[in-house]
Amino acid sequence: MSETSNLSAALAEAPMARRGIAFPVTLALVAVAGALVPGHIGSALLLTLLTQATIGAVLATSVGILIRQNGLVSFGHAAFFGGAAYIVALAAQSGIVSAEVVVVAAVLVPVVVAFAVAFVMLRVSGVAFSMLTLAVAEALHELMMRWRELANGEDGLPVRLPSTLFGLPIATFQRPETMFVVCWIVLMALIAVLWVLSRSHLGTLTLAIQDNEERARFIGYETLVPRAIVFALSAGIAAMGGVLFALYNGFVTPDVLHWSLSGEALVMAIIGGARTLWGPALGAVVFFFLRDAAGSYTEHWQALIGIVLITVTVALPMGLSGAIVLLASRIKGGRNG
Amino acid sequence: MLIQILNGLVYGGLLYILSVGLVLIFGLRRVVNFAHGALFMVGAYIGYAANMVLGFWAAVACSILVLSVLGVALDRLVFRPLQKEEPMVTVLVTFGILLVLEDVVRTIWGRDLLSFPTPVALSGTVALGDTSFPVYRLFVVAVAVLVAAGLSLWLKTSRAGLYVRASSVDPLTTGMQGVDTERLSALVVGMGSALAGLSGVVAAPLLALSPSMGSSILIESFIVVVTGGLGSFTGAFVAALVIGQLHNLGVVYLPHIASMIPLILMVAVLIWRPNGIVRT
Repeated sequence: MSETSNLSAALAEAPMARRGIAFPVTLALVAVAGALVPGHIGSALLLTLLTQATIGAVLATSVGILIRQNGLVSFGHAAFFGGAAYIVALAAQSGIVSAEVVVVAAVLVPVVVAFAVAFVMLRVSGVAFSMLTLAVAEALHELMMRWRELANGEDGLPVRLPSTLFGLPIATFQRPETMFVVCWIVLMALIAVLWVLSRSHLGTLTLAIQDNEERARFIGYETLVPRAIVFALSAGIAAMGGVLFALYNGFVTPDVLHWSLSGEALVMAIIGGARTLWGPALGAVVFFFLRDAAGSYTEHWQALIGIVLITVTVALPMGLSGAIVLLASRIKGGRNG
Repeated sequence: MLIQILNGLVYGGLLYILSVGLVLIFGLRRVVNFAHGALFMVGAYIGYAANMVLGFWAAVACSILVLSVLGVALDRLVFRPLQKEEPMVTVLVTFGILLVLEDVVRTIWGRDLLSFPTPVALSGTVALGDTSFPVYRLFVVAVAVLVAAGLSLWLKTSRAGLYVRASSVDPLTTGMQGVDTERLSALVVGMGSALAGLSGVVAAPLLALSPSMGSSILIESFIVVVTGGLGSFTGAFVAALVIGQLHNLGVVYLPHIASMIPLILMVAVLIWRPNGIVRT
């Protein structure tokens, strides 16, 4: 236990000091470069894949931030992702409020629910927390499957939207060449916000609590509320992914609540490495391209991803991003990892 | 009403056999086996295959045998090498194993639902007042009672049982007292896995077999284990009985929100006692 956390602490610290300005600059450059991508890609198939990967990246980022700041592994983030997608579908169907309000509510409701639920879920140990996230999410999935009158059960719901949303024509959110840019901007903005937060008092406090809760409490900090805030934040990010999914896909089924989606998000975060803010997003891109490349083997995709998960967990615990950071610092002639 | 309570007892019994396997493994290795539901599923499929050639009783024996070997392998190849890592590493690896096992079973037996015939010797019903109840379901309850009695006898009277109890309270100190926890773990994980196989094969005639059949019962056994208190044998017993009843009553009377009812109980218990019903 101590070995791995020492290693990860060293990984987190080493680049931190030098990265004061480098990170936001790099992020801005990547953001602009990404936004220009659709102009240079003719293939609609590739753009569709990129759009899906970016929505997956938002979900993976939400799972990653929970690992990074709270040290907690969620097997149930599909609940927030799918929950938000269902809120969009159900509220747009009723047509009582404007679509803009629906979109905002679809993010805020999971945040509030997560904040409340956190006070129960965070009382248990790390492993028990993982078990609970799986149980809660699966209960929600069952609820949506069984309660046909509420959300049409297994058959799912179409998402009915007005012709414009936030002043943009609705087609912006449905065509991959524009939707990719929307999702990309959301993803980059989220990573930027998380970067600021992780350097804030809340960010360092939650890391301290993760390290030794007893000690943090002894110094006089309330340890439940900061962790609940991180959990709610993570839920909100997953919910944003769900909103993007609902807008882009135009249809929601209980699959968006299924544990396999939570599992996939977790696998993306682990492959990319949750010690960095951008790792899970990288993991998502790798995940989607790997699935695409698997081609005729997609029948055995599940086993393949299981093997990748086991291999990365055992052989590369800091994930791809951790390896990149380590490699970069070696090339620069920095200290050895 | 009596019938409903009996049905709840049947499900509670299955949940107990599965959950107590998780508790055994947690006690020795301090990790939660996310592949436990997949072991349940593999047990059911192995039973299905053996049942066609050898009959029901041999199928039960086959399942237990294969799964105990699988359990020992799991302990030697996964839990032991990862013991020095954070518990979460093992959780992720067992989750990966779950994905692989489901795929393997899907490749061998296909995606379609299979049905496991009720054994002839246990078919039929018994009269209970003015209604009747299937013999097979009573058999499931009897198996659960036998497992509970046998396990508690073993834990209370045998030397290995004493070590297991000691180890589930404090594995480190138990090791320092000279108990070979490595050997004990192989035995206990083998047993836990065999119990998952037993619950799978015994449940098979009551359920439709599919590669994903393990996930919903795994989730309920997680609720059982967390509600009962991680690592508590008595807690798992009590929680499995209560959740078995709630699950069944929920399915009958409140089908829409049935899946939420055990969770509500669990939330209530966790607010009242964060470490579960029975403190360890």
